Amino acid sequence: MQLLPKLSRIEEGEIVYHSEDQGDIVLSKLKKNGKEMRSLRGKDIAMIFQDPMTALNPVYKVGWQIMENIRQHEDVTREEARKRTLDLLIQMGIPEPEKRIDQYPHEYSGGMRQRAVIAMAMSCNPKVLLADEPTTALDVTIQAQIFELMEKLKKEHNTAILLITHDMGVVSEMADDVIVMYMGNVIESGTAREVLKHPVHPYTRALLASIPILGKGKEQQIEPIRGMTPNPHNRPKGCQFEPRCDFSCDACRETMPGEEILEGTHMVRCHCWREVPEK
Amino acid sequence: MAKYIGKRILMFIPMALLMSFLIFGGMELTPGDFVSNMISPDMAANMTPEQLDVLRESFGLNDPFLVRYVKWLGQIFQGNWGYSLSSGVPVKDIILQRLPVTLELALTGLFISAILGSVLGIVSALKRGSLLDHTLTLAGVIGMSIPQFFFGMVAILLFALNWKIFPVGGRTTPDMVHWYEHLRYLILPALVLGVTQTASVMRYSRASMMDSMHKDFVKAARSKGLPEWRVNLVHGFRVSMTPVVVLLALRLPMLVSSSVVIENVFQWPGIGITFKEAVSAGNYPLVMMIALIIVIMVLIISLVLDILTRVLDPRVRLE
Repeated sequence: MQLLPKLSRIEEGEIVYHSEDQGDIVLSKLKKNGKEMRSLRGKDIAMIFQDPMTALNPVYKVGWQIMENIRQHEDVTREEARKRTLDLLIQMGIPEPEKRIDQYPHEYSGGMRQRAVIAMAMSCNPKVLLADEPTTALDVTIQAQIFELMEKLKKEHNTAILLITHDMGVVSEMADDVIVMYMGNVIESGTAREVLKHPVHPYTRALLASIPILGKGKEQQIEPIRGMTPNPHNRPKGCQFEPRCDFSCDACRETMPGEEILEGTHMVRCHCWREVPEK
Repeated sequence: MAKYIGKRILMFIPMALLMSFLIFGGMELTPGDFVSNMISPDMAANMTPEQLDVLRESFGLNDPFLVRYVKWLGQIFQGNWGYSLSSGVPVKDIILQRLPVTLELALTGLFISAILGSVLGIVSALKRGSLLDHTLTLAGVIGMSIPQFFFGMVAILLFALNWKIFPVGGRTTPDMVHWYEHLRYLILPALVLGVTQTASVMRYSRASMMDSMHKDFVKAARSKGLPEWRVNLVHGFRVSMTPVVVLLALRLPMLVSSSVVIENVFQWPGIGITFKEAVSAGNYPLVMMIALIIVIMVLIISLVLDILTRVLDPRVRLE
């Protein structure tokens, strides 16, 4: 959505949005805050932020903030926008929407705020919904409710959801396709089944090994990934994961591995994935 | 909201009383008293201490401190603010005549610094790191370090003496017909007062604006497809405004005190000049009343300020 600060850049590849009425749009080539980019933001592509506490402006009423999105993209009267906002709040399962619409964000609970943020994102029926760790700031019971809500919206409105998370449980439950990224690079991708059942890249494996499994009891071995993520200003030369990898070879130190298709849609970027022992 | 305002007004009364007590006590501690300042030194030299004491007794100056304080306060509440020792004019008349003149200058100055300061601050924050930003920062530091009286004198030298755009000082001409002729007198002192205050308002609104522009809700506003001006002003600036308004309101009493300096430089016939003259002449009734009025103004401003921040920021609650 081109919301990142000026420093960030796309080193290779491009981001294309297949729109229904305007054909393919190369998003990465649009002017950052230009008219075309803005007409897509909030309408075709919407976003849910990580922390609902800060994603809502504290000095405006929640309803007003949702209406702002609708009125930016559609030529509707204040009354219509308000009615639609009310409908949205009802859809999101917010109790007493008549009262809640005129309340400020600080009068909402955390889960409710995230629902309001989702309502804001869904207000123009976007085709793509970006969710950047939408539940990290919420507790577990609320998390489940939010994901249920997103699942429902996905089915009812035919919205594609791009979920950014490190919660593997959520991935296996929600995702159709999975892309694993490390230091801004795609290192493994495929369907959820391919990646989670047969992880190939050492990072994906280490990630999966570091999750405690419910029911295994207190004695289970959780394997942390050794070392720390490298400083983005001082990146390793070759494979980004090399300094922390148990299976690295000389090639890993020199060059970033290219994409390698294993089968079907399963892709990996690793020089030595063959050497990694199966579990 | 009504309950909040009510509570806040109730808190106002004990604070005003405390301040009046401090002012009265402070005057008590200064050397000399009413009698020694009222009578010229020549006369006092010819009077015996007994005669002076009779005089003191007749004014009730030998009563205990608290008795005198309560009497003083009682008279103020009845509208009797005393008489100026130097002219014999009722203090009330002097204040009612001079205070609006000062407010006129102070409010114009505040208005200039508010508009100029916040606009420059926002521009500076949005163009962070640019040449403009650095220039404004430098100008701000210089502006903050130059004393007002110096700035005022330079302004007089340039605009009044060299270029003759504005009059050197004063407020009106005796033969003034239209009210707007008077604006020529107001502009220069108000500009000096405003511009010297602008620097800190600018720095403050720049910091506040940068702070709010980094918040997620600004990114969220952008993700709604809003145009940049709307993101910056409606979302960024609106949130950063609260601390700036607080700063401005806190400035108001300072403006009254700095108008003492400006009024003397420009011979602006406001309460600042009156205050300075009253202090150097030991004009007790006038000094005390002016001090009390300024204190009460500060209290009222902070009252209005609290209500205003509440309106601006719905999160603030009186505990």
